[in-house]
Amino acid sequence: MSASHSGAMSIGERVSEALSIKTVFTMHVFGLSIPISETVIATWIVMAILFVFSIFATRKLKRVPTGLQIFVEFFMDFADKFARDNMGHNGRKFVPFLGSIFLFLCTANLLPMITPMGGFGFEPLFVIKPLTRDINITAAFAIMTMIVVLFSAIKYKGPGGFIKSFAKPQPFMVPFNALEYVIKPLSLALRLFGNILGAYIIMLIIEIVMPVGLPPILSLYFDLFDGLIQAVVFTFLSTVYIAEAIEQEEHS
Amino acid sequence: MNPQAAAFIGAGIAVFTGIGAGVGIGLATGKTSEAIARQPEASGKITGSFLLGIALAEATAIYGLVVALMLLFK
Repeated sequence: MSASHSGAMSIGERVSEALSIKTVFTMHVFGLSIPISETVIATWIVMAILFVFSIFATRKLKRVPTGLQIFVEFFMDFADKFARDNMGHNGRKFVPFLGSIFLFLCTANLLPMITPMGGFGFEPLFVIKPLTRDINITAAFAIMTMIVVLFSAIKYKGPGGFIKSFAKPQPFMVPFNALEYVIKPLSLALRLFGNILGAYIIMLIIEIVMPVGLPPILSLYFDLFDGLIQAVVFTFLSTVYIAEAIEQEEHS
Repeated sequence: MNPQAAAFIGAGIAVFTGIGAGVGIGLATGKTSEAIARQPEASGKITGSFLLGIALAEATAIYGLVVALMLLFK
């Protein structure tokens, strides 16, 4: 641990500080006190960015697209095609859900990159930590996906077909198929959480050990590439789970 | 042995799950390159299943990391 670094904290202290999620202020509504953590505030920032972007991108729609509209139409086209390729003709109904998840996770994982540089004795103006390092956020997303999977399975297979689908290749598979509904959200949540947290801790340690030169290069991999890949993987796995849930028997 | 030291050793052992993920992702990447070399026109579909595969293979390593972190900073 170099003494030149501003804070005289050890690596372990820095990492455990990074892991903790601070409560910024407490809101008092109807006699309840609701602690607002920094994750919630970062979520509000992401929501505001997406909201403003959506309004600006769809404000003046033209027959012949220009500017931002081209990008938005390209994204919608891509999402449509992706859904039809992976989920069949019913897949288009899930485009809004999956598209929102993807845009939210992309924005959330890229948001920390706008944190201004600190170090060399001065603190940065504000620090945005990646908000998916909070397991509550990833768990919320995984549970949402699982609710969509459950309801779409019941809707497209019918209640009877849904119950029968537990005994699918063989009846002795029932406990395993039932376990899947627990394992899938667990692995979805832990994958995103672990990846982002791991990358964040590695970047912290690199910034402590070698603050000059190395962090910007590795940040490209750990923040930009890993964040985007995890957003893609989360959306893709959700798509696969939903596709599995809504696939219907061939009635020939 | 005091509990703190045991937790540190346990965290170190937990990270050994990375071996499996490394081998798995390596195999998947190799096979993907082979498949794309054989059929370049199917690269889109191959990449899709490759991403799914590495995401699933990587999960074990992530579980190891999570367990290690839980042991270190509980």
